[in-house]
Parts: sequence; structure tokens; C-alpha cells
Amino acid sequence: MIQISNVSKVYGRLTAVADVSFDVQPGQVVGLLGPNGAGKTTTIRMITGFLPPSGGRIRVCGHDTIDASIAARRQLGYLPESAPLYPEMRVKDYLSFRAKLFGMRWSDRKKAIIRAGDKCKLLEVMHRRIGHLSKGFRQRVGLASAILHDPPVLILDEPSNGLDPAQIRETRTLIRDLAMNRTVLVSSHILPEVERTCDRVVIIARGRIRADGAPQDLLSRMLRQVPAKHSVELYIETRADPENGNRSELDRIAARLKGLRGVASIAREPIHGEKPEGTGQVAEWVRLALLPEPTHPDLREAIARTLSIHGVLYRELRRQAPTLEQLFMRVIEQDGAPEAAEGGTRA
Amino acid sequence: MRRALTIAMREYSSFFRLPLGWVVIALFMCLSAVFFTQRTLVPGNPAEMRDFFGVWWGLLLFVSPAISMRLISDELRSGTIEPMLTSPVGEWTIILGKYIAACCFLVTMMLPTLAFVAVIAWLSQPDFGAIGTGYLGLLMLGMLYLAVGTLASTLTSSQTLAFLGTLFVLLVLDLAPARLAAQAPEPWSSLLFKLSPSIRVADFARGLIDTSTVAFFLLGSFWFIALASVVLQSRRWR
Repeated sequence: MIQISNVSKVYGRLTAVADVSFDVQPGQVVGLLGPNGAGKTTTIRMITGFLPPSGGRIRVCGHDTIDASIAARRQLGYLPESAPLYPEMRVKDYLSFRAKLFGMRWSDRKKAIIRAGDKCKLLEVMHRRIGHLSKGFRQRVGLASAILHDPPVLILDEPSNGLDPAQIRETRTLIRDLAMNRTVLVSSHILPEVERTCDRVVIIARGRIRADGAPQDLLSRMLRQVPAKHSVELYIETRADPENGNRSELDRIAARLKGLRGVASIAREPIHGEKPEGTGQVAEWVRLALLPEPTHPDLREAIARTLSIHGVLYRELRRQAPTLEQLFMRVIEQDGAPEAAEGGTRA
Repeated sequence: MRRALTIAMREYSSFFRLPLGWVVIALFMCLSAVFFTQRTLVPGNPAEMRDFFGVWWGLLLFVSPAISMRLISDELRSGTIEPMLTSPVGEWTIILGKYIAACCFLVTMMLPTLAFVAVIAWLSQPDFGAIGTGYLGLLMLGMLYLAVGTLASTLTSSQTLAFLGTLFVLLVLDLAPARLAAQAPEPWSSLLFKLSPSIRVADFARGLIDTSTVAFFLLGSFWFIALASVVLQSRRWR
């Protein structure tokens, strides 16, 4: 449905997007993920025809966005970042205006407005002025205007930007609902949104694609490179023992765990909400974090066995699979620090 | 054309949804009423509106930029230009729609002034032909000024800059040819006189309709809105 081939965008000496290529298949929900200034909005603006690419080609439903711009735009429903609308207009009038721009006839227009309004739960505010609506409702008006003409391709630029958690959840549900019979490309820097909504993620940073695939595939690929951290919470005596060379029980257990085959490093981590270290208690709950070597991705059994042998009470032993956020941060860190300013790399 | 009219209708109605439209109409009417009572409705004066049209042409210099300043600037500032330019509508259609809306607003603004004609007609027997051509001249001049304003509005997202830019260009367009013509030798002098909108529009107030003058205003307006369309299109390529 969307074919992006070697697309780049250059502003003077600034390269905002460099040689980006990816396809979006029919029915896919693809998340375009990246930090601020990564080139997400520029890429989306090129797909929608708002900006022409400096190089490369973009096709939407087979129509070139430059040579057959109007035909390509007919296939698109687009919600720009922060949903720009006319605040002085009533919701119904705005939707009617948008439907007319897409050349819809009166009878179709009426049905389309009701359908989009119902889908985006706007029927109760149809006669209210857009400027009087909450940000969540305004976002829904933008979404309704994007689906009015029932486009096969829906492009949403940061649809959850500036919304509160409840509104974010509502928007996510709405996007999932809209994605049932459409191809959707959604850009975001809110990771849970992408993780829960998208079949596929394209991570973009400094104008280049850094990772592309299904969230689970990307995570398992990452797991092979970076093993999952293990954490264990032990009930242990923390005070130094003079009879044992001033080493506490904690030091001894930590040394034994460190000695296990495949353990690369071990460190103590604070337990959120519990008493900190040095409260004078004889024994307390302590959390240790173990990082395994890539050759030993799962150490849970070895850790459990060691703790049982030494009679150490523990209440949690967890292998923390990497999240999309960790993957995202890893890609960004590999790429260099996120840029503070808008834009990409210097050409 | 249907889409241009859709844009025109939205824009026209937005003039009345915002205070700006009402303020412009109120100011125009207040100033018109003051000049009408002070200069036209004077005992002994002929039953004509020639002086009055002269005042209106001067008022148009300030009213036209106020009407046109938000046409595209506001879309650029608020970001609504993005959904507009990503819908299946060309730049020319957008500019034409906005321009039609501005011209319709100008006509709406002039409609209440027919009350002044009614007052003159009630008190005396004016030459309705001259009044009609005077109104036509007012419309032609307004159309040209609004086209200049539309162009200025595509160049900046600041309404204030669009207003000041339009005012500056209109003053230059109006005053420069007349000033330079007085000092320039022939045939430059007569050519410069013909380029001054305020000199050309004076014919209308006298009851004359010169086709070359009509063509001057229509082509001038077309040239400026075509240029505005090119400027809007060029924004995509920057």
C-alpha cells in the first residue's frame, strides 16, 4: 500500500531523512518510532505529499506522490501532529467541509459524517464549536476527518501527543478499531502505544532506519545480543560479622552467585518503597541484579539451586525480558545521544 | 471550481464567526457615516457621491489588508494548511477560494452603504448611473487590493506582517506612479499615470466605464492571485 524507496529530504546542509526505504503491506499497522527530531514527521509529510522528497520515490496505492499527487492524496486519511483544526467551526460543519474537499456528494456526505462521528464517539458534540472541546475530543475530530472518505491508508502523526493517560488509552482503542480494515502508519515516541497497537515497528533515528520488524521479533533479536537481566530478592543479614572477617552474609551470598558459571556481573539494587540500607536492622530484604553472559541467557535454575543449598530465603526470582523501551534506548544509544534540536544529521 | 467554492464558503462564514469581520464592517460603516454626514450630506452640495467614493478608496487602503491578512497566514500559523494541502485540492483552488471569500466579504461590507444612496435619493434626484459605476470602481479597486493582500498573506504566518506588507505595497502601488509621473518625461509620464489604480479608478466615479481600466483591474487581480498560488506551491519545495 505504501512503498518508500530510497527517500531522502535535505534542507540546505541539513539531512532530515537519509535513504529511507520500507514498504507497508495491506492491512498492516506499522509504528514509526523515534526520538524528537529523528525524521518521523518529515517522512510522514513526504508520504502525504505535503513535502516533496529530495530524492527517491514514494507510492501510495500505486500512485506516485509527486507525479500523481492528487490521486495519491485521495487514498490517504491523514491526522497531522496536534490535529490542527478551525476552532471557530462546529464539529459537524468542519466534517462536512472536509467531506466536500474530498468531493463527496450530499447523500454520501451525510452518511459519512454520521459513520465517522459514531466511530470516533463524537455524536454528542457534533453541534459544539471545536474551540470549546477538550484536547481529546479535538484529536477525535481530527481522526474523524481523516476517515470520512473511508481511505484505505490512514496516517497518524503522534496521535497521543499531549493527551492524558485516559485519553491515550481511548485513542489507542480507537486506532486499533480503525485499523481493522485499513493500512495504518502511526508515528510516535510513546513506546507502549506502539507496542500495543502495531504489528510492525520501524525505528528511525537521525533520519535513518535503525530497526524494522515485528515488536516480538525485534525483542528476541535483541535478547540474543543482550541477555535478560535476572533479579532476586533475598531475606538476609546485612550487618557486618566480625567473626567472619567483617563480611556480611550478603557479601558471601553475592560472591557465591558471582561465582556461578555464566554470571557476568552482580549488583545490589534498591527495593522501591522499602526501608533503605543502613537502618540498623539485623536482617532485611535485599535485591540483587545479575547480568548473565550471552552464552548463558537463563540462570534462574542455577540461582535457585545455590540459594536453596545455602538456606537463603527468597521471595522473588525474575528474568526480565527486554522491553521495547530498552530496545529503543539501545538503538538510540548506539546511534549517539538523542538530539536536542529538531533536525537530523549534517550532510 | 466546486472545491474553490467550498473553501470560499468556509472562509466567508469564518469572517462572521470571528470578531475581526464585525470590527472591520463596523469601522468601515462608522467612518463612512462620518464622511457622509460631513462631506456629502451638506445643503447646497450636488446630489452625487463622487467625493464620497474618493474617501472610500482611501479607506480601502486600510480595510483591504485587514480583510486579507488572515487568509493564508492564519492557516500557516495554526497548521491547518497541512490537512488542506494533503487533501485532493490544488494550491490554485485554495487561493481562488480564499480570494472569492474575501471579495464576497468586501461586497457584504459595502451593502449597508446603500442606505446612504437611499438617503440621497430621498432628498434629491441623483445620477444613479454614476453611483453604479462608482460602486463598480470601488469593487474593482477592492479586488485588486485584496489580491495584493492574498499574496502578502501567503508569504508569512504573521497576520501583522501580512497587514503591514500589504499596506506598504498598496501605498507604493498607489502613490509612486502618480508622484513619478509628474516628474517623468513623455511617454513614461502617461504610462505611469495609467499604472496608478487610484488615478484609473477616478473614471468610474465620473460615470465612465473604460474597458481598458476594467481589464487593468481584472488582469492585475489575476496576476497577484496567480503569484500567490505559485508562492503557496513553492512552500512545498522549500
